[in-house]
Amino acid sequence: MRRRRILLAVCITALAQASQVTAAAPPESLEYAVKATFLYKFANFVNWPPAAFETPSSPVSLCVLGNDAVAAVVDQAAAGQMIGERPIAVRHLQAVSADSTCHILYVAVNIPSAEAEDAVRGKPVLTVTDTSRATMGKSIVSFVVQDNRVRFDIDDAQAAESGLAISSKLLSLARTVRPRP
Amino acid sequence: MLLGETKHPRRKISASLALLSALSLILAGVLVTLYEEQLYRAQKFQEIGVQGQILGASVAAALVFNDAKTAQEYVTALQANPELEAAGVYDEAGRRVAGFARSDTDPPPERAPAVTSYVANNRIYAVLPVNQGGAAVGAVYLRANLDSFGRRLVRYGGIILLVSMGVLVLTVSGSAQRALTLANTRLESQARQLAASNLKLQAEMQEREKAEEALRQSQKMEAIGQLSGGIAHDFNNLLSIVKGNLQLLQRRVAQGRTDIQRYLDSANEGVTRAANLTQRILAFSRRQPLSPKPVYLSQLVANIDDLLRHSVGDTVRIEMKLNADWPVLCDANQMENVIINLAINARDAMPAGGTLTIETANHPPSHSRMPSGDCVALTVRDTGTGMSEEVRQKAVEPFFTTKPPGRGTGLGLSMTFGYVRQSNGDLIIESELGKGTAITILMPRYVTESIPVNV
Repeated sequence: MRRRRILLAVCITALAQASQVTAAAPPESLEYAVKATFLYKFANFVNWPPAAFETPSSPVSLCVLGNDAVAAVVDQAAAGQMIGERPIAVRHLQAVSADSTCHILYVAVNIPSAEAEDAVRGKPVLTVTDTSRATMGKSIVSFVVQDNRVRFDIDDAQAAESGLAISSKLLSLARTVRPRP
Repeated sequence: MLLGETKHPRRKISASLALLSALSLILAGVLVTLYEEQLYRAQKFQEIGVQGQILGASVAAALVFNDAKTAQEYVTALQANPELEAAGVYDEAGRRVAGFARSDTDPPPERAPAVTSYVANNRIYAVLPVNQGGAAVGAVYLRANLDSFGRRLVRYGGIILLVSMGVLVLTVSGSAQRALTLANTRLESQARQLAASNLKLQAEMQEREKAEEALRQSQKMEAIGQLSGGIAHDFNNLLSIVKGNLQLLQRRVAQGRTDIQRYLDSANEGVTRAANLTQRILAFSRRQPLSPKPVYLSQLVANIDDLLRHSVGDTVRIEMKLNADWPVLCDANQMENVIINLAINARDAMPAGGTLTIETANHPPSHSRMPSGDCVALTVRDTGTGMSEEVRQKAVEPFFTTKPPGRGTGLGLSMTFGYVRQSNGDLIIESELGKGTAITILMPRYVTESIPVNV
């Protein structure tokens, strides 16, 4: 009798936990994995000026500045992925300068983004940050979590300044878009 | 019969031609409809394909970023197309991330079907890959319903209507053609019958002309026969005169007397009169064509005075009122015959005797029944039995006679009328039962200038 009660309690708890996993917010690790995946997938919808690449098969350089949960899983997410004929090359940087060869630059949440953003301003670099950071940056793409879904805002005006063309398909997915002038 | 047989194939040909046209029209209509249907299907097929491509391009980003909500928005927007029955969007792994299906229709499949497009069960199925940056990122599925048969029928209504009208027109014109051909055949046979009867009529007319000619001759002989009795008597008298005078002359010559001139004159006169009489008979019996010459009718009547008196006999008194002095153009011999004929008719109408009046008179235009102008009228009037109106109407018809068989031919007045008309004249019959008959011959006045000089 007593044993059976215990068994029932265990079952209910397990069920409750299972339902929590599906119904409630996605586990944090999943959120970071999604963000890491998005980082390289953006490349599909962004056109860099031809000068940004040496050859048609030159890799897309995905630079990660700093260390956070996203930066930790980027290597795993982008491994073996191709953008057309271009492979993805992930580079972990400690600092960003104007000379850094980056096509996409993710600034981890624990690093003030302004300096890095200023360093690549005017260059064809797609800057990506997360709005969950302490200080707001001026990146072109900003991750937002809304309704338990990872979404993003796009500053198309700044993308235009940087010489980047973002596909309208991507823009249509964005939560908000600051249109180019 | 031969003609009739050649008609039938033509009618058959035109009928089968109409049938053939109708059939080919229907066939053409069916072909056009099928072609339209094919075209419609191909067009719809293409349309659905294009819509699938648009949907694929629209949801590419949503698939890449696992944005099912946005993908669903695009799919939902497709519902505006009433032809679309169901749609689905599948991610790279083949899982359905968005879709819709109209009520009472199957939902889009759970897993992405193989990439293909086909038509089945009046539906278009289209499964298209979604590519982004050269790599497949998912697939879209579209299922469209083609129009129902009824709606398509309405769409092809125009063609059906046109074909039906064409068939109707062909049918109507075909039957009209057949009716026309039938009527034509009937008309042709009627025309053939008419031609045949016309030919027969002409033959009859020729025969009748021959008979008339023979009868005319025999009538002339009859008239001669009638005359001959009186003439023989007259001739005998004349011969008696001549003979008597010659005997007296012989006696006087034997006595040696010289007062013989009186007898010579008398004998001479008798011979002259006999010669005249003979001349008349010869002229009367002679067959001759009409040779019109200017004639004074009063003079002509006066010349045949003796003949007339012999013809009508003693019971009939003859009165002459010859006042005409205009010439007419006619054949004198025939005119004499006509007058004698009329006189004999008048005599026959007065078996108990009576008065025969022969009048001639100038007839100015105001009194004339002739349209041309001046005329000369010659009237033979009797005080006999007269004619009823019915008889008067028929009087000039050939072979019509009221005389007993063997006495008359029924051609006298008919030939008279024919002769008068041939001479541009006219014949008027006035009669009253019990009082008498007046027959008037109107001849146009002869004007000298209208005759050619050499006649």
